[in-house]
Amino acid sequence: MPHKWGMAVDLDRCTGCGACVTACHAENNIPTVGPAQAARGRAMHWLRVERYWEGDFPDVRLTFRPVMCQHCDAAPCEPVCPTYASHHTDEGLNAQVYNRCIGTRYCANACPYSVRFFDFFNPQWPKPLHLQLNPDVSVREVGVMEKCTFCVQRIRAVEIDAKAEKRELKDGDVKPACVQGCSARALVFGDLNDPESEVSRLSRSPRGSKLLEDVGTLPKVTYLERQTQV
Amino acid sequence: MSQIFHRSANTIARVSIFGAVFFIAGLLVLLAEVNRSPWMTESRVAREQPIQFSHERHVAGNGIDCRYCHTSVEDSSFAGVPPTKTCMNCHSQIFANSPFLEPVRDSFRTGRSIQWTRVHDLPDFVYFNHSIHVNKGVGCTTCHGQVDRMPLMWQESSLQMEWCLDCHRSPERYVRPRGAVFRVDYVEPPDQIELGRRLVAEYQIQRLTSCSTCHR
Repeated sequence: MPHKWGMAVDLDRCTGCGACVTACHAENNIPTVGPAQAARGRAMHWLRVERYWEGDFPDVRLTFRPVMCQHCDAAPCEPVCPTYASHHTDEGLNAQVYNRCIGTRYCANACPYSVRFFDFFNPQWPKPLHLQLNPDVSVREVGVMEKCTFCVQRIRAVEIDAKAEKRELKDGDVKPACVQGCSARALVFGDLNDPESEVSRLSRSPRGSKLLEDVGTLPKVTYLERQTQV
Repeated sequence: MSQIFHRSANTIARVSIFGAVFFIAGLLVLLAEVNRSPWMTESRVAREQPIQFSHERHVAGNGIDCRYCHTSVEDSSFAGVPPTKTCMNCHSQIFANSPFLEPVRDSFRTGRSIQWTRVHDLPDFVYFNHSIHVNKGVGCTTCHGQVDRMPLMWQESSLQMEWCLDCHRSPERYVRPRGAVFRVDYVEPPDQIELGRRLVAEYQIQRLTSCSTCHR
């Protein structure tokens, strides 16, 4: 049975430190655009930490929610792509093929989570930052759409090593950059087709819910938080 | 008032419309073929190198295994270009004073690498891994051609995506037993399809044609 990669995010553990965002930027060669372009809504963060203030001062509670591509099973971004650049893989990943993308931006408009980003510019890294680019990830050029891949390069690397050594993948072998960077261990990644994996177990938790569940996108990211009786 | 066009203009119009279809179709075929030709892909074009290193001499002549120089091919994505030290293993004794090998000795003395010209250069958005192909029974010569007959290295295949997919869709046409992967004198048996099907099952070779297999 092929893998079905998914993630669980424990919001009660998340401290909002932003290490996942930094790890994601470093791993995936995501450029920063500067304050002027960010003000125009062109900032690119494949993973962002949303902040929510609950209650009125002084009884304020601050909660965080890391939001990345939800890798929906019924992804609204996929059927709108005229070139199949945005497509579903056998492993349930919502993949983006940069060399196919022609930049129509239909997918970003269709996405209810606002996790797709358009390259308005050729990315630039001031020297010597260009030396820290990850060679396993394409550097996207101007005019293509990009998004969280669940660090597909890491998944492939682990899969290839396992196959070459003729062994099965274990739960926890694959760690996307955000999961690896999370010191609170709020993010858990793994195979949803394996009922024993930690992510499967957490996804079945009664604390779990999906983001914008009612729009019917069947996301593979589960958010866990304390459920209170109202 | 006389007619502007002669009656034959009807025929000419029909023929030219009919002909235009074939002309445009022909043009497209021509374009596709030019795109596949060595003129675009630079396949089978021998590359000049800083040292006229002959794979023919070293592989066919001396019988050196691929892995003696390309050491990381079995466990890395990159097969590896040998350091000058590997050359000097032999050439400190053999042809130790040959003027042809002066750049090698110079590199060894100064510690500056020899700047080889890259022969197989994939686009930057394609990620190829040597180790998995070698471990699944894809021979060196399947992609790189008869290296033992290349005095100067050339790129044997087009390296275009249709060429990759040709094998990714039906690997049974190309795979060989693992023991024969590094043999340059391996010849496909007449029952390759039958053998291939057996190996595909035995080695659990998948038909990976998802884009994100190679593009990421």
